[in-house]
Amino acid sequence: MRAEVIYYLCRRDIVKFLRDRQNLLASLTRPLLWILAVGFGLRASVASNTHGVDFVSFLIPGVATMSVLFSSMFSAISIVWDREFGFLKELLVSPVPRFSIVLAKMIAASITSLLEVSVVLLAAPLFGAHFHPLGALVALLVLVPFGMAINALGIIVASRMKTFEGFGGIVNFVLQPMFFFSGALYPIENLPRALGIVVRLNPMSYSVDLTRGLLIGVYHFPIALDIGVIVTSALLLGATATWSFSKMQA
Amino acid sequence: MRFGRQTGLGACLSLADAAWLCLKDRGEPKLMSATSAIEVHELSKHFGAIEAVSPISFDVPEGEIFGFLGPNGAGKTTTIKMLCTLLAPTSGSARLAGFDIVKQPDDVRRAIGVIFQDPSLDDRLTALENLTLHAVVYGVPRAERKARLEEALGFVELEDRKNDIVRTFSGGMKRRLEIGRGLVHRPRILFLDEPTTGLDPQTRKKTWEVLRALRERYGLTLFLTTHYMDEAENCDRIAIIDHGKIVAEGSPETLKRRVSKDIVQVRTAETDALVAFLQNKYAIEPVFADGGLSFQVEHGDAFIVELVSSATVKLESISVRRPTLDDVFLALTGRQIRDESAHGSRDAMRAMARRR
Repeated sequence: MRAEVIYYLCRRDIVKFLRDRQNLLASLTRPLLWILAVGFGLRASVASNTHGVDFVSFLIPGVATMSVLFSSMFSAISIVWDREFGFLKELLVSPVPRFSIVLAKMIAASITSLLEVSVVLLAAPLFGAHFHPLGALVALLVLVPFGMAINALGIIVASRMKTFEGFGGIVNFVLQPMFFFSGALYPIENLPRALGIVVRLNPMSYSVDLTRGLLIGVYHFPIALDIGVIVTSALLLGATATWSFSKMQA
Repeated sequence: MRFGRQTGLGACLSLADAAWLCLKDRGEPKLMSATSAIEVHELSKHFGAIEAVSPISFDVPEGEIFGFLGPNGAGKTTTIKMLCTLLAPTSGSARLAGFDIVKQPDDVRRAIGVIFQDPSLDDRLTALENLTLHAVVYGVPRAERKARLEEALGFVELEDRKNDIVRTFSGGMKRRLEIGRGLVHRPRILFLDEPTTGLDPQTRKKTWEVLRALRERYGLTLFLTTHYMDEAENCDRIAIIDHGKIVAEGSPETLKRRVSKDIVQVRTAETDALVAFLQNKYAIEPVFADGGLSFQVEHGDAFIVELVSSATVKLESISVRRPTLDDVFLALTGRQIRDESAHGSRDAMRAMARRR
């Protein structure tokens, strides 16, 4: 495994992401819509229950994590794309270890999703949100392994998919529950018992919790548990993704 | 597009020759010479119950242009995929540049370049970006990279388009870029799966000029597959593959030397009667081809005069011609090479026309 190979493979994905202007614009404005619609739409009705924090400020970490979730997951479709357009064969006959290819995908997905997060964090003060600037920088670092884990999950799905449509369907089926049962949109104290259990089983909840803790100082789980869950899922999913990708036939 | 009939080489193998070739293949032990670029021994591939490639064996010496000729679905691409380490063989072994395809896949991958049947460029990147990525992936030293890329681009005459996005390229330019890319890491063996399929005649000619120049300049071994008969004539040696088996192997010159008879093609409404007539009177076993009967005779011109006057069956048309590689294939397999692809629909149309 050579670092330069990973760097160039990452660069390829990022260059293509930046070259696709329409997609770039859409992915950068989507999270802002969430803040506007959900943040201001629900602020009045849930103001009392968010740890004394303004609801928009409470929501920012959730939207940031959501951006990473969606963006990293959909980045994995580039594998289906590469197979459809033949480029995957070029990589598979090359002497590059399969693991390097998967790792490069994961890193690139994570980096492009951080672009979205940066837009959210930079725009947040304009919406009247308050958070620790230093905490926000640390949160960016924390979201890297989370983005990698989610992209690995996407690769596992993508490497079994024959069509773009199939990928979209399955991915939405996975994404929606992960997002809605993660505490990204609401506090996870005093939830109905069953919902509480689902939230605890969802790895995304820990990423939301850590990001929220770093930004506004409100934690629900111990920090060590948050970090542990994120790193463990990145490692497990990364390994599974490599295995799944190696089974894939160009 | 039909090229087979028009171009220079005509070659013919009788069924007896084919049988002889098969026997020769079995009887002689394969000599694995030190200068073999490709050594294939009893390589096979099954997909479930389907045998895509029967155990096949062949050697390709270094610096040779070796062609795998056969109809679509004959097992050409499956064989290439096994040799390029993309597909695990069911049984048998193969060594490329001395490396075993199963045990040393990474060494094999470094020693070969592959140009696939379908494009495998990233069409959202520029030509230069595609080549750079290739150079990095194959570990071309940074100091040499620029020179190699310039050389590859120059070789396929794309220097002036190097910073353009590949999506804007024509089919021929993309194919040339892929060939150029395949050279960047200086492979010892270059695989080309149907290198000129879908290209217009000028581009095909140009592609072949590039391929021959490659061999001249770098002494590369070229392994290519094709279902164009005339394209096979550009090879030093050809293996004809059908239903996953190699049915004949030899240089076009060897095959040329086997040309001894002319091909006669006859059409009639009373096919069975004509078959019986030919069998009884001339001891000829015709085969069905192109909606008529086809057989080989010496002195074809004289024979058709004789046939026309003596035939007891009404003939619709009769023609005689020198044999081509198409006929080699027909003689070996009893079918024409494009029977199962393009000709299927044409035959169906003929059948409809006849019914009216």
